[in-house]
Amino acid sequence: MTVGLLPALTDEQAMLLDATVRFIEAEFPMEAVRERADGGEGPDAGYLRAAARLGWLGMLADEAHGGGSASGNGLLDAAVIAAERGARLQPGPFAGHSVVVHALSRAGSPGQLEVLAGLVEGRCWATWVADGTCVGSAGQHVELGDAGDGLMLNGTVDGVPDAADCEWLLVAASGRDGLVQVLVPAGAPGVSVRRLEGVDLTRRWCAVELHGVRLPAEAVVGAPGLPTEQLVRCQVEIGCVLSAAEAVGAMDANFRLALDHARSRIAFGRPIGSFQAVKHVLADSSLFLEMSKGIVAAAAGALGRGVPDGPALAHAAKSFVGERGIELTHTCFQVFGGIGYTWEHDQHLFMRRLAAEAAAFGPPAWHRERLLAVAGLS
Amino acid sequence: MSGCAAGEAPAVTAPDPEEYREQARAWMEANLERRADTEGDARSPTLGGSTDKTPEGIAPERRLQRRLHDAGYAGITWPAAYGGQGLGPEHQRAFDEAARHFVLPDFGIVGGTTFGVCAPTMLAHASPAFLERHIPRILAGEELFAQFFSDPEAGSDLAGVRTQAVRDGDRWILRGSKIWSSGAYYADYGMCLARTDWDVPKHRGLTWFAVPTTAKGVTVRRIRQINGNAEFCQEFFDDVELTDDDVIGPVNGGWTVTQTMLFFERGGGGAAGRMTTRGSIAPDLTELAASAGRLDDPLVRDLIARAHVDDLVRDAFQARLGGLMAANPALAASLASYGKLATGTFDPIRANLAMQVGGPHAVVWDRSPSPGADAATGLLNSRILSIAGGSNEMQRNTIGERVLGLPREPAFDTRKPFRDVLRDAQNWSGQVG
Repeated sequence: MTVGLLPALTDEQAMLLDATVRFIEAEFPMEAVRERADGGEGPDAGYLRAAARLGWLGMLADEAHGGGSASGNGLLDAAVIAAERGARLQPGPFAGHSVVVHALSRAGSPGQLEVLAGLVEGRCWATWVADGTCVGSAGQHVELGDAGDGLMLNGTVDGVPDAADCEWLLVAASGRDGLVQVLVPAGAPGVSVRRLEGVDLTRRWCAVELHGVRLPAEAVVGAPGLPTEQLVRCQVEIGCVLSAAEAVGAMDANFRLALDHARSRIAFGRPIGSFQAVKHVLADSSLFLEMSKGIVAAAAGALGRGVPDGPALAHAAKSFVGERGIELTHTCFQVFGGIGYTWEHDQHLFMRRLAAEAAAFGPPAWHRERLLAVAGLS
Repeated sequence: MSGCAAGEAPAVTAPDPEEYREQARAWMEANLERRADTEGDARSPTLGGSTDKTPEGIAPERRLQRRLHDAGYAGITWPAAYGGQGLGPEHQRAFDEAARHFVLPDFGIVGGTTFGVCAPTMLAHASPAFLERHIPRILAGEELFAQFFSDPEAGSDLAGVRTQAVRDGDRWILRGSKIWSSGAYYADYGMCLARTDWDVPKHRGLTWFAVPTTAKGVTVRRIRQINGNAEFCQEFFDDVELTDDDVIGPVNGGWTVTQTMLFFERGGGGAAGRMTTRGSIAPDLTELAASAGRLDDPLVRDLIARAHVDDLVRDAFQARLGGLMAANPALAASLASYGKLATGTFDPIRANLAMQVGGPHAVVWDRSPSPGADAATGLLNSRILSIAGGSNEMQRNTIGERVLGLPREPAFDTRKPFRDVLRDAQNWSGQVG
């Protein structure tokens, strides 16, 4: 079973999809996800290496930097992968890693391109740590100042998924010349990644604390100010699409479970799915699910091809999926009834994941305001 | 379903679509009026908001249709044997492209039911003799067909109609009433679903008839709608005499015909079209907010953004739905229910957003039309597509049962004679068996 993010696939996309699903189900199936939610281990380094061999990690890198896509539209292919990952509640900062790959491929210095090569090959995870202004969460400030002949980074960003597994952090901060990004080794002095508790048990949520982190000038990615603002907007849009794609996958899997339950659970002498009260809420959820797939595919397609309405579609996707995803998981929960409130059942894992995903890369209302801005209503 | 040209051999001299388009364009330049530019009218469509047609008002439209027919541009994909052109959909597309800038006959809603629903259904099911009598006259603008579909007592349960045609020698006597017949007051005929056998299960005793609206015993009453228009009609049939010539498709085989008709009514399997709003942000709402002086209000901006998100999502969804239908032709008719449910769900949501954006300006106004008055009209019209043409509930049943594979609701009326169905329903106990 696949999510079916796209109604039709190219042969290459179909091969990628098939390999992706088989890989996940062999390496980190739902049993492993459940164990991890109970405090078990995440996947080992072999997972990332194998994922890279499937092509997961280079979709947003130029071919010159070791990247490549299945269909010619890397973001669309990455969204297809993200949806299948989401359906199986896979750990790992896939969206954040992809954002970093894109940023380095676009603006990385020769030294940073060496880091990029490692990210594409799956030698390690990286993720994006953004000053709150970039993603609509005021209060999470990161500043980059001068320190002698180098730079110094200060600030804290909460709620970065699986940051503890990352060797590299791309940090967006406010600097002397405006918005600036720096590539920071996670092990640099002054960087601490603190585990947080949180609603989503399928990933490890962290606070990234940056206290007087000294960096050489070469750590800066691209040119501060306007060029970085443009790049960061693009990173947010990519993050939106991939996060929404993971959410759509989770919606799809959650919905399928509820559908199976409605077909097989007997009450009052009938399968409960034969009651219109149940059938109709599932039909509505199915509509919202299909609409969510439609907008995510449209956004990935347009943004990946670089057509002008890509950014608007990306923000629309994040807003729509964020809200409808929560609605859908509520409906599924209601269809399950009491069993959905048990720890052993997967329902809570999906609800947890969808709640967290709705807030990732900025909440729905912020994306709506961004949508008006990019679509020109000022 | 390709009812239109089914069985028709392709015309031997089918012209190249490109050439056909140019030839059509040249004819239009010489014979048709150019359209005033209607670009920029990107408001969400509000069905039922149009001006009512009058029988006199459509007389010139009939003449225009006649000109099209005489020139060989009517019934492009319909069989040549009945006055059509026997060409393919690519020629229809070529003609439509050429015709974009010209004034074509506008028969209002009845134009859609005649040319888009009734005639294609007839072509798929009616006898050659019936088609020879009616199709050429339809193409010449002489016969417009309304749909006599729902009964006052049977809407969603269409197979439960009680309007009946009784055999009387070689005649049929029609009794009963039809309702929600759009534009019947200026149509020439109604395509009418009637019960012809009460002693069989409901789906097996139905027959379609062509009923002249001017026949003795037919009364057409216009229904005043909540938006002030009166496009819907109710008809009363007091012993209307019909003959076998008026029968469309097999006697008591009307349910199959109905399936075809519903298929065409839902857009021939294509999802209901929607004006794209891409590139402009909910123009009706931004105009409304500006006229109310509320364009800077963050709360109003969020309402507008919500509408724009939904508009973009609906467009993207139509594209996905088209792809899904193409990938699953066998499921296309059921998948079409998603398109209908999307419209029936999101039209009301959008109308509510407009009312909130307008605030007091959408409740009272100095002049109409105005953005506020339009929002209020939009609210009144917003439930049209959640009810008409298959209610949201019917679409949810189709999606639930035919797409999602959920088990069917128990049925109390599909096995026994329809006569007994009505009797048993009046003595409802809630117990089965």
